[in-house]
Amino acid sequence: MDKYLKQLPVFADRIKAIKETIITNVVLIGQIPAPTFREQIRTGVFMERLAENGVDECTMDGYQNPIGIIRGTNPSKPPVFVVAHLDTFIEKEIEHNFTVHKKTITGTGILNNSVGVGVLASLPEIFRELGLRFESNIVLAGVIQSIGRGNLRGIRHLLKTWDGPIRGAVCIEGGELGRLNYSCDGMKRCEIECNVPVSAAGEYKFKQNAILIIHEIISNIMKMRLPQMPRARVIIGKISGGFKHGIIAYDAKLGFEIQSDSDKMVKSMFTDIKDIADGINHKYNVDLELKTISTINASGLKYNNPLVKSTVAVMETLGLNPVSSPSESEMAIFLSRNIPAVTLGLTYGKNYHLEDATIEIDPLFKGIAQVIGVLKAIDNGVCDEK
Amino acid sequence: MKNNWLEKNTFHYSDFKNLKYLVEQKEKKNLSISLCLPTLNEEATIGKEILIMKSELMTRYPLLDEIVIIDSGSKDKTMEIAGEFGADVYRATDILPDIEQFKGKGENLWKALYITKGNIIVYIDADIKNIHHRFAYGLIGPLILSDKIRFSKAFYDRPIAIGKNKIRQTGGGRVTELVIRPLFSLFFPELTQIMQPLSGEYAGFRDVFDKIPFPIGYGVETSMILDIYEKWGLEVMAQVDLEKRVHRNQDTRALGRMAFVILKTFLERSRKLDIIDIKKEIFKEMIQYNLVDNEYNCDIFTDAGYERPPMIEIPEYCEKFGVK
Repeated sequence: MDKYLKQLPVFADRIKAIKETIITNVVLIGQIPAPTFREQIRTGVFMERLAENGVDECTMDGYQNPIGIIRGTNPSKPPVFVVAHLDTFIEKEIEHNFTVHKKTITGTGILNNSVGVGVLASLPEIFRELGLRFESNIVLAGVIQSIGRGNLRGIRHLLKTWDGPIRGAVCIEGGELGRLNYSCDGMKRCEIECNVPVSAAGEYKFKQNAILIIHEIISNIMKMRLPQMPRARVIIGKISGGFKHGIIAYDAKLGFEIQSDSDKMVKSMFTDIKDIADGINHKYNVDLELKTISTINASGLKYNNPLVKSTVAVMETLGLNPVSSPSESEMAIFLSRNIPAVTLGLTYGKNYHLEDATIEIDPLFKGIAQVIGVLKAIDNGVCDEK
Repeated sequence: MKNNWLEKNTFHYSDFKNLKYLVEQKEKKNLSISLCLPTLNEEATIGKEILIMKSELMTRYPLLDEIVIIDSGSKDKTMEIAGEFGADVYRATDILPDIEQFKGKGENLWKALYITKGNIIVYIDADIKNIHHRFAYGLIGPLILSDKIRFSKAFYDRPIAIGKNKIRQTGGGRVTELVIRPLFSLFFPELTQIMQPLSGEYAGFRDVFDKIPFPIGYGVETSMILDIYEKWGLEVMAQVDLEKRVHRNQDTRALGRMAFVILKTFLERSRKLDIIDIKKEIFKEMIQYNLVDNEYNCDIFTDAGYERPPMIEIPEYCEKFGVK
């Protein structure tokens, strides 16, 4: 382990020597639109790039997750996974072309998660450049249907159908460098949809307004008493509705997440919100539907887990200050299956979810060196300790 | 149409996707290939173009031997960025400085013949937003793999980038459909088989390019096709489908000026070829009108019609390349 720790700063410099290859992969893959459920074209390009970069095997699982395998030296060792989600939250019609400058790359979706996917496709070339071999097979998985309504379906399917044990996993995200996630909160992602039927009962008195009904639901959610322990919160994340300024809104939609480090608390809060929705539905006699679109159970590694300790050591060797918070990434599915996993950020950036999202190029090489450090730690057995 | 050129000489870039094989064939035929990007204020796209071409077609597969930028005097950071990304960068006015200087894309392409070293020269516009190395290898493919083809031309499905980062899926090629295609249909029906004669991406052998004149402005693509057709016939040409190309949208006035130059170039070439007889000199000015404060203002665009002679007639070139 120490041997590789010492090499990591040198690795960062040597990775920089093939920056053209890495950036080309980021650009060629990232410029292909891939909104969740419509990732097919990006999947094809990702596989093409994996093959170009020389993986030993390139395939797709039954759910169309593209996978590359770099063969290890010891067939008896279970594989190590490196995962990045392929899908983005950006619609196909939005221009996806990137602008590359000397120090930055700008373009929609670059941070979430084109840079992660591009780096994933570059890993075979990077390993070759550094002369690295691993005992375990390294499985490079660009998973589909991860974010939002995707509900981590790709990674769930991949792990559900994977034959045999998995040694550990590193999930990579564009930003921010220094990010270290090793636990995830229990989470329920929900939508409330309100539709006012044209001939709703009571119309003779008042015409119901879907936006105002959603507003009332939000007000009631805000009044909920939430404990400090276990931690719990409701995030109101999305809202839409209405037709035009002068017409009463017939429809409105609210998207929110319930988060807590206790699954029991998530369940209880969900029940409370359901009661709120049912009460308001009854009061106004409209079509009000509460849908759960994604659920994750709380899980995580402890700070003194060998994988977490090793990752912190890797990051500190590279001069990075690890910042930890719970995350609902692909890591959650590994952890729920008792497979040690962490999520790492690759570089610094700004305008994360905007069309002019921008990453810094130089820190990226340190970000990649960190991933390699953690992979080496797993390959050296930190996750094998019971 | 009498012949089956369209069927025989139309390719898709994926026909040349086996880059390892292309490189082998290139080496076997002892060819060298230069990529030339003519630029004018292209700082938004130039870095990416060079990076991708260099990474994929120089580092990974040594198909290109050099990437050369010929700049018309950019006011932005085009030249600086191009240099940082490892291209050989030249200001057009610094090339053959003792001859009269002009400014325009055709001028840059012509001067590239003097600067580049390859037997094959690939010209690609520097404003392509969705650049991919297929833009180069797709055009190079027919030149390497066929013994007959000496010039290859790109065609695309061309979406246009409109405001707010949105893409409009139809449009593009308006000057092609409204000007050049009707003209070809009237005078050179065989050439209508070329899907996008005005596309800015093409490649060819040096000994083709150095024997034809280059208009310095918009007319360069039109004259190039007519000259190659006249000297060597359609059989030496190929066209390659490069699929989608995203480029900047041009307004109708700009397209009008482009159409004017293309019409003028076409008429002059046709007159030279003795195909048409124009009884008087044609004018050099395109006149457009603006309505400003209820008054019509005249806006005049002049195309002097400057044209560079075949490079092979330039003594410095002959000396540099040992042409006798």
